[in-house]
Order: sequence, then structure tokens, then C-alpha cells
Amino acid sequence: MPNQINPTLLFDGGCAVCGHLAHWVQASALSKSGGTTIVVRPVGNDPAELRTLNPDLDIWDAYAKIHLLMPDGSMKIGGEAIAEVLRRLPATKWFAWCFAVDVFGVRPFQLMLNLAYTVLDDVRPIFGCGSCGATSSWVRPIATLMKWAGSGFGKGHTPIPTPHFTAFPLRPSSARASGSKAD
Amino acid sequence: MSDINSGLMDRIQTISGNAFSTLVLDGAGPIAVEFMSYGCGYCRAIEPMLQEVAETLQSREQIFRINIEAEPELAASFEVQGTPTFIMFLNGREVGRVEGIHPTLSNVMAVVTAPFEARD
Repeated sequence: MPNQINPTLLFDGGCAVCGHLAHWVQASALSKSGGTTIVVRPVGNDPAELRTLNPDLDIWDAYAKIHLLMPDGSMKIGGEAIAEVLRRLPATKWFAWCFAVDVFGVRPFQLMLNLAYTVLDDVRPIFGCGSCGATSSWVRPIATLMKWAGSGFGKGHTPIPTPHFTAFPLRPSSARASGSKAD
Repeated sequence: MSDINSGLMDRIQTISGNAFSTLVLDGAGPIAVEFMSYGCGYCRAIEPMLQEVAETLQSREQIFRINIEAEPELAASFEVQGTPTFIMFLNGREVGRVEGIHPTLSNVMAVVTAPFEARD
């Protein structure tokens, strides 16, 4: 059920970068009294369940960009969601006012935040994201370099034989036969 | 928000393990089944194309979706190694399988129709 008091931050549970950031938000959202200013939860795998949080929320969109579900039923997406999160965290609200600064109809700090989010969204596949899909064209040389460096040191990178395919982690055949859930 | 990804516009039925037997194994004619996960970036990339293919094919071929997170046993029983995996069935029998698709409309169309065209 949607939280009626605090916003709910949805994050991609299969993305290591998103998971670390969500964990940080969750820890930072705790107030001295023990309450929280933001509810954090992974997107999950049930489209119907997500629609109970907000009828306009599509699960594909929720995985594509960060979503913040507001108590009034509205949604903030991408850089706007991050600005709202920073406004509500006790440790960051002191500087988050800058994202609302409007100069002749333009919000320069919000624009910079949007750009930073877009860059982070593009580079997250190279930081261990099993759910982000293909890397953007400008990130591919960096990803290739990191793979090359990783293979040189012989750890950390498993070659994926099929392009455009998320292979399951290798599991014992007995586990597969029993139908254990893929991580 | 993308209309093509909206639940109201979804042209592909997500089926459960119970419905799989009835709709796919006991189904007649060509059927393509996508084993996918909503958290799979590659599945997300091909979704708009798959919707378009489903609309183009309409009554000629059925396309179903199986969420492997909700149906891990079904995925394991078909030895699905990752997502997206397309398995094509003709009259309940597997006739083709493709793992991973380059996200273009022509590729998606070719994947879900080629195994049946070879049998025409």
C-alpha cells in the first residue's frame, strides 16, 4: 500500500549502483526520533502490485528511470526525483534549496543535476548492473577498457557469450532442477 | 510515460505456469513465448518492438510472455539460461529457440516468425 505521509523511492534492485545509493538514502532518511522521511523499496517483478502504489506507474518505466512516488499521488522522475530526495534528507536539505532556484525560467542547478543523473544512468552498466541492458554508445569504449583490464588481472568479469542477453549466474544442476529462483 | 509500455496497451499476455499448459502446450498453431524479467534491460529494450510485432501478426501467431521471476520452475523446466529467451512452439512442440535479440524491429520479427516459415 502507498505510504500516505512519506514519499516512496523505487529503485532497480538488480543494479548494484542503484542498490548502494538506495541503501545510503534509507540510512540517511532516518531521523533522530527513529522515523524515516523517505520509504525505499525495490521495483520488484509484479506490475499489478506496482499499480497499487500508483495507477499510472508502469513497471518498465520504473526500471528505466528512478521514480519517487509522492504522498499526494504525483510522481517525480529522474533528476527531479533526486532533487526531492535531497530536499527531504536531514543531511542534504541544507543545500537542496538550490535546485529550486529559477533564473529567467531556467533552473540551472536542477539542469546540472539532470545531466549528472543522465550520465550516471548511462555508466551504471559498467559498475555491475545485471538489469541495465546495453551500454550507451559513448560508454562502450570505457566498458571495453574495463573488461580488458579486468580480464588482464583475471578476476571480476565473466564473458557473456550472447549479446543482448542477461545470462543467469551459474548454479548447480540440482538447484535448477528444483526450480530455485535466479538471483 | 511511454504509451506502448502502458498496461492498457499491452498486446502480449503474461501467462502463469498453469495457463502455459493450456495456452501453449495444448495450443494450436504457431506460438512464441518470451521468457523475460521486468528487471532485464535487454527485455526492456525489445519490448516496444515486440508490441509492434504482436500487433502486426495479430491472429497469425500468438505471443505470450512468462516472467521468470514469478515462474522459476517453468523457466528451469525449459532450461532457460537467461533473458530474454524466445521459444517458438508449433502445435505444442518446441520448434525454435533464440537467446538475446538485437533490439530492432526486423530482428524481433524474424526471431518470432522464422521457425514457422521454415515449415511452410
